[in-house]
Amino acid sequence: MTETPAASAQTCPHCGALLETDAKFCEACGKAVGAETAAAPAATGEPSPLDDVSPISAVTARPGTAAPEAAAGSRAPCLQCGGAVDDDGYCTQCGTKAPDPRDHFEEQPAPWVGGVCDRGIRHHRNEDAMAMAVDGPRVVLVVCDGVSNTVDSHIGSMNAAHAVLDVLRPPLPRGLGVPESRDAAITRLFTDAAAAGQRAIAATVPEDVPNPPSCTLVAAVLDDDVVHFCGIGDSRIYLLPDAGDGQMLTVDDSMAQLLILGGTPRAEAEASKQAHSITKWLGKDSVEIVPRVGQVRVTGPGWLLACSDGLWNYASEPAAIQEQIAAAGSDDPLVIARHLVAFANASGGQDNIAAALARVGKNADAAPAPVAAHGGETDG
Amino acid sequence: MAEFTATVFQNEFLPDGGTDVHAIVTVDCSGAGTAGQTGSGAAGEIVIIDTSGSMGQSAMAAAKQAAQAALTEIVDGTYFAVISGNGAAFLAYPLVNSGPAMVPMNEATRAEATDAISRLRSGGGTEISTWLDMAGVLFTSVPQVVQRHAILLTDGENNEPAPVLDEAIARATGFYQCDCRGVGVDWKVEEIRRIAQALLGTVDIIARPETMAADFQAMMQTAMARGVANAELRVWTPQGAQILFVRQVSPTVEDLTHRRTAVNDLTGGYPTGAWSDESRDYHVAVRLAAKAVGQEQLAARVQLAIGDEVKAQGLVKAKWSDDSELTTRIDQQVAHYTGQTELALAIQEGLAAKAAGNEELATTKLGRAVQLAKETGNEEATSKLRKVVDVEDEEAGTVRLKKTVEKADEMALDTASTKTTRVRQ
Repeated sequence: MTETPAASAQTCPHCGALLETDAKFCEACGKAVGAETAAAPAATGEPSPLDDVSPISAVTARPGTAAPEAAAGSRAPCLQCGGAVDDDGYCTQCGTKAPDPRDHFEEQPAPWVGGVCDRGIRHHRNEDAMAMAVDGPRVVLVVCDGVSNTVDSHIGSMNAAHAVLDVLRPPLPRGLGVPESRDAAITRLFTDAAAAGQRAIAATVPEDVPNPPSCTLVAAVLDDDVVHFCGIGDSRIYLLPDAGDGQMLTVDDSMAQLLILGGTPRAEAEASKQAHSITKWLGKDSVEIVPRVGQVRVTGPGWLLACSDGLWNYASEPAAIQEQIAAAGSDDPLVIARHLVAFANASGGQDNIAAALARVGKNADAAPAPVAAHGGETDG
Repeated sequence: MAEFTATVFQNEFLPDGGTDVHAIVTVDCSGAGTAGQTGSGAAGEIVIIDTSGSMGQSAMAAAKQAAQAALTEIVDGTYFAVISGNGAAFLAYPLVNSGPAMVPMNEATRAEATDAISRLRSGGGTEISTWLDMAGVLFTSVPQVVQRHAILLTDGENNEPAPVLDEAIARATGFYQCDCRGVGVDWKVEEIRRIAQALLGTVDIIARPETMAADFQAMMQTAMARGVANAELRVWTPQGAQILFVRQVSPTVEDLTHRRTAVNDLTGGYPTGAWSDESRDYHVAVRLAAKAVGQEQLAARVQLAIGDEVKAQGLVKAKWSDDSELTTRIDQQVAHYTGQTELALAIQEGLAAKAAGNEELATTKLGRAVQLAKETGNEEATSKLRKVVDVEDEEAGTVRLKKTVEKADEMALDTASTKTTRVRQ
C-alpha cells in the first residue's frame, strides 16, 4: 500500500465499480483487485507533484492547477445508484452529489507516514490542506488551514502547502558544520518555505480580489531523530511518544495564545469567543510571515503529528490526542489519521480537519526531551 | 451566434424531511441576430386582419394602416402573406391560386401587399378557427420557412363553438407563433388569450384605433429581432422525482407544465419559441424523496436547448440541513414570482367573478390582487387595478368595486394580468 487517494477515486479495473479503500476484491464483480489498481487513477495526465521516490495521492490538487474535478477525466460511478456522474459533479440518474476529491483525501507516501484531510461536517468545503514527502528516513509534513470567508482559500491553502513542501523536500542544509551555523541555515530554510507558501497563496487569485485567500502553516521535518518545525497561525505540531508525556511543539499565533500568555488557563482561553482569531497568517494581506521555528530530539518511539484546529479543538492537550491514538488500536498512520478525523467529526466536525502522522524514534526507548531552540520566538 | 446563459436563484437548504425544491432560473440570450438571417432557415410572417362586419369604418381604416405599418418592419427576404378574416379566411396577398402562398419581401411585393390591404372591405362574421387554419396552410406551402410567426387582429367575439376554435388552436400549436391584439371592447380577452398562450405569443388590447399602427410596428420589430428560431427549455429531474410545475414567470406568467414532451426518461422539453436578445425567468418546482440531514443532491438540471444542442445549463440543488436559519429562508426571487403568479390568477378570477355577477368573490380576489401588486412592486398592475376598484387599504387588500368602470380599463387589466415585474436588485 503505497498511496491512497480519496476513496471515490478507486475503481475496479474489471467492472468500473467503486472500491472500498484497501479492498482486495471488488464488491460488485467479485474479482481480485491488485495493488496496481490503486495506482491507476493517478494517470490523470498531470505530472506528479512529487518525485518517483515519494508517490503521492493523484487526486490532491497541485499548485496552480484547476479544481480537482477538472482533472478527473473519467468520474467514478455514483455511490448511490451506480449511474454515470456528469461533468457537473452530480449523478445523471439519481442526482446524488459525487464526493469532491478535495473534500476528503488521504496520503501515505510510506508505510510509516500517512494523513487524512477532511471537510468535516459543518463547513461546505475543505479549506484545510496537507502535503507530505518521504526520502529514506526523512519525512516532511505540512498542514495549511485556509481561512474561511476569504476567496478561494481551499485552492490557496493547497497551493501554499505544496510550495512549502517543495522548499523543504531537499536534504536539510548543514551550514558550516557547526551547530549554530546549521541552526541558522535551517531557520533560513523555514523562512524561505513560508515565503514560498506566501507567494503561492497570493498567486491563487487575481490582484484585485477584495478578500484574498489566507491560511496558517505548520511544517515539520524529521531528520536524524531531530524534528525541525515551524508555525504561523494556529495549526499545530505535536510530538506524542507511546509512553510518557506528549508535547505541543508549536505555539499558536492566536487570541487564545495571547490570553494564555496573560495567565488564562488553556481550556478557558481556547473556549473564549475570539480564541480562533489568528494573529499571523500567510496571504496577500499578511504583514508578518517569518515563522516561529524550533527543534526537538526524538528519544523514544511515538508519533509526530501535524494538524489543524479542526482536530485539536476536540483534543488540545497532548494526553487527549495520545488517548485517541491509542484508541485507534493500530500502528498504521493512515488508520490512526482516519480515527482522529472520525473522532473530530463525531465530536461535532465544526471545522475542516487535517491530521498528518509520521512514526518516529523506532529504535530509541527513552522519553523525548527538547534539546535546543533556535530562531525567532521559540517554544520547545 | 446567439449565446445563452442560465442563472439559478434558490434556497437549496431543505429541512429534515423536506421534499419540495423551488428555483427561479433566469435565461439570458445575446447575439440573437435577425429573424431568418442567421443561417438556420428562412423566417415567415403572416398578418391576419379581422374584416368582419363589426369592424367600423374608423377601426377598419386603422387596421389597414396598422397592417401596412407592420409590412414596413418586415426585413427584406422574409416570406410573408396577408390574410383577411371574417366568417372565412381569404388570402389577401399574395394573389396566387396554387403553389407557394408566401413570397419574399422586397420593394415590389411590399408595394403590392400595401395596395392589396388598402382594397380590403369589411363584412360578414368572425370565425377565427378558419383564420388560424389558413395561416397554417400558408406556412406549409413554403417548407423552407422554419421560423413562423403571425400577428392576429380582431375586434369581436368568435362566432364559433369553443371546441371548434380549440381544435384549430391545437393544430397550430407548436407549428407557428402568434401575437394577438384586440381592438375596441367587443372581443373576449379569455378567448384571445387562449390563442396567444398556446401559440407562445402576447395578447393586448388596443383601446384607441390611432395607436394601432405604432403597436403593430413594435410587434413586428420584436418578431424580426428574434434571430433564434426555436429553443426548448429542458428540465432533467432525478429518478423518482416529480415535477410540480414549470412556469415562465417573466416577462409574463405562462404555465408550461402540461406542455412537456419527453426528451428522455428523466428529461422533459418545454416550448419557448423564438428568442431575441432578451431575458426570461422560469420557476421550476420539483418534489424529491427526502434524504438525511447533511446529504446533497441535484434536484434539476435546467437547460436551454436549440435542436439537440444544450446552450446553457443551470443546476437546482437540494441540501438537507438541521439549521433552521438556513432552511427557513425563502429565496427573494422565488417569493417574488410566487406572488406575481398569484397576482395574475387573482386578477383573472376577480374579473371573471365580477363578470358573472359575484361581487363578493370579485371584491375578495381583486382586493388580494391589490395587496399582491403592492407587495411585489408591480406598479402597472396597481395602476390598472385602481381603475377598476376603489382601494381602502392597500396593505390589507380592502377594496370596493367601482360603480362604473370603463370596459376598456377592465380588459386592459385582464390582458396585462400575466405581465410581471422583476425583483428590484
